[in-house]
Amino acid sequence: MRILGLSAHYHDSAAALIIDGVPVCAVQEERLSRRKNDPSFPLAAIEWCLHHADVEPEDLDAVVFYERPMLKFDRILTCSLRTFPHSWRAFPKAMRNSLGEKMWVRGIISSHLGIPGRKILFAEHHQSHAAAAFFTAPTDHAAILTVDGVGEWTTLCVGVGERFRNDTARINLQREIRFPHSLGMLYSTFTAYLGFPVNEGEYKVMGLAGYGRPTMMDRVRKLIQRTPDGAFTLDLDYFSFHTTAESSYSPRFLELFGPARSPYEPIDLETSDGLRFADCAASVQRVLEDTLVEMTQSLHRETGLPDLCLGGGVALNGLANARILAESGFERVFVPPAPGDAGCALGAALYADRIHFGNPDGEVPDHPFWGPSVNGGDLARIAGEDGQQFSECDDQALIGQTADDLAAGLIVGWMDGPLEFGPRALGHRSILAAPHNVGMRDRLNREIKYREEFRPFAPVVPIEVADRYFELPPGGARLARFMSGVFRVRPEWRPRLEAITHIDGTTRLQALERSMAPRLYDLVEDYGRRSGMPVLLNTSFNLAGEPIVNRAVEGYSTFLRSGIDVLVAGNTRVMKRESQVAHRKEAVA
Amino acid sequence: MLAPLHRWVWSCDERRVQKLLHFGETETDGGRDILRAAEMTSDPLLRRLYLKHAIDEHRHGDMFRRRGADLFRTLTPGLKPAFQVEWLAPGGHGADDLEVQDESDNDLLAFLHLSEKAAASRFSVYRDVLQRDEPTCAVFDEILHDEVFHMNYTLTQLTRVAPEQHRRHLWRARLSRLGKGYLRVATALAGVLGTLLLTIQYFVFVPPFALLAKRAQRREHVGWHPVSPDRNGSLDKQY
Repeated sequence: MRILGLSAHYHDSAAALIIDGVPVCAVQEERLSRRKNDPSFPLAAIEWCLHHADVEPEDLDAVVFYERPMLKFDRILTCSLRTFPHSWRAFPKAMRNSLGEKMWVRGIISSHLGIPGRKILFAEHHQSHAAAAFFTAPTDHAAILTVDGVGEWTTLCVGVGERFRNDTARINLQREIRFPHSLGMLYSTFTAYLGFPVNEGEYKVMGLAGYGRPTMMDRVRKLIQRTPDGAFTLDLDYFSFHTTAESSYSPRFLELFGPARSPYEPIDLETSDGLRFADCAASVQRVLEDTLVEMTQSLHRETGLPDLCLGGGVALNGLANARILAESGFERVFVPPAPGDAGCALGAALYADRIHFGNPDGEVPDHPFWGPSVNGGDLARIAGEDGQQFSECDDQALIGQTADDLAAGLIVGWMDGPLEFGPRALGHRSILAAPHNVGMRDRLNREIKYREEFRPFAPVVPIEVADRYFELPPGGARLARFMSGVFRVRPEWRPRLEAITHIDGTTRLQALERSMAPRLYDLVEDYGRRSGMPVLLNTSFNLAGEPIVNRAVEGYSTFLRSGIDVLVAGNTRVMKRESQVAHRKEAVA
Repeated sequence: MLAPLHRWVWSCDERRVQKLLHFGETETDGGRDILRAAEMTSDPLLRRLYLKHAIDEHRHGDMFRRRGADLFRTLTPGLKPAFQVEWLAPGGHGADDLEVQDESDNDLLAFLHLSEKAAASRFSVYRDVLQRDEPTCAVFDEILHDEVFHMNYTLTQLTRVAPEQHRRHLWRARLSRLGKGYLRVATALAGVLGTLLLTIQYFVFVPPFALLAKRAQRREHVGWHPVSPDRNGSLDKQY
């Protein structure tokens, strides 16, 4: 059976194709259109998926959209009515927005793909999240928690997923918290207050939190109160996201926390305002963690299960995930590589396959590499046309040479095999560098990532030695498989891992199994033989404001526009001109 | 001829900040489109030129943003310009819709040439009316220098890749810009009318339903809501 899953129209649209129960490919539209968080209908992603699998649209048995558009419209309309007359500005915009395209999804899919409307199905948003989390996890029976800003009405949902011996599976979502009471919206409101773009800047809040102290938790707790049944409500007097699209917080919020940060002002942690913003980030981070830990503790007591599958955009919060693992009672926590809305494309397809059609529950390969493959020959051709130095060699020589480059303090753009699905670069589209000194972090921030100093970088380490350098609790290695958890760097190694150690002594590491990315694994090992420490800094291969690169030509243009010294795609290696690199080596020395 | 109008547009500090920040975004967006063109073209020379062009546009974006942020710091907090008038003083490629992946090199070069020409002419007017604000004037001055290069290389390359037909491509690009301009105006007008009608409907038809919705909300309990078993079933429904 061929099932295409789609997510679109909010942020980060994507397509995923499964054939006979097994994912064949999945890609986010932004990686093809080159528009970060592209929310448009994922036509390029669909075309690529169908072409990659050699499937014609009419061969598809079903196309599953990741949410129910009418139910979402119901929420938008109801919220406009409930907030009358304050919603008078938001109402025309919301109606035009919904009535323009978002409500006619069946017709849009049908007209683009030329398939009959009866083949088009709709999973609920949190069903899609739950399926993406449970069906991709190597577990037979697990509690499920999905948390995000909002889907149709649901903002948080709990349930149980179960695989049976007869190859069938079930997801039973049991209860939910409904809009406007939302942990995701709470966090996004602080993201906006701190001057970062919503749905994009949440990582920055998490990074900033490390520099602050949670001195404002009492104030944050005025915004979110626990209910006697263990859920929570938001005090809507402090928010405006439910009445207007222009702002997330109300004047009362500003009375409580002080003036908001202008997005055009840098955060200066030497000033009282800078520290206030850092404390604010630390406080909302702590309240989010506490709330999630308490809810998962209760879920663990209720289900008695050892495994938890986490989904939804909030599952990208590595600090919260690590605390859930440590404190909830669950022995293993599974977070898919794409827990956000893009991953819903895969989740919706899996849900339709296993639940709607009742197909056998086959094993889903445990890796994130579902996108287009890179072609080293393309890089060789382009570099040759531009008169750049390049070489083509076998794996062993290439890995040895790249390890030498890294040991010499050079920064390497690394493109290998199929593109990752999800926001993390997990070794196929990565920028790699030596992790040992703070100068490397500053150089990456200054010359490549062009981002705030307070944002940390992540390391990649072979899973067998991860525990030597990082304090991994039981189950931590699994969470670190897709960089989903933040753990402490062992104090004795921090002086040698400065570039990846955050101010609070933590890092969001990737514990790499050889079977997942063998070439990267060999490279890290080889680097370890040279430096005495098999750890590399691994950050996504993109510049600020751009999506992660996909094709060799995109890696090449990023290489030319930034301070990356060496670019590797497949078995092709391109190096910046000797003079530039020699200058760099001198600076490093 | 429009200099007094532009002088008025740029005379308000708050509006100047908004415009510079807006230009910053527009230039960066334009840079992204041209970068995409560099990554799509099969012509090595064009790839190098597009790449340089894209880097310039990104730099322009940064310059506008930096200058806007500097001016922003001098403003009284909370002030906002009363009237934005974006359409009176558009930025670089801001008034042009570009679908790079759908354009051939010929069409793209013609389009870029006209865009750069229009942007250069607008920026020179802005520079002239901003003589009293030297730092902002200097930003426009530097960017204008690059725009002239962009204008020239796009025409030279168009002549190279389509020696016989470059004039035809330019005329086609002019007509396309005209068509897009018409569509923009029509869309904006439709948007205004739509908003007006929906706002009227909001105040005329919505109140009784709002009353019912508010009453229903009061009865709704907070906390957990059970998920009814039938929601775990069929995927045929959109609601």
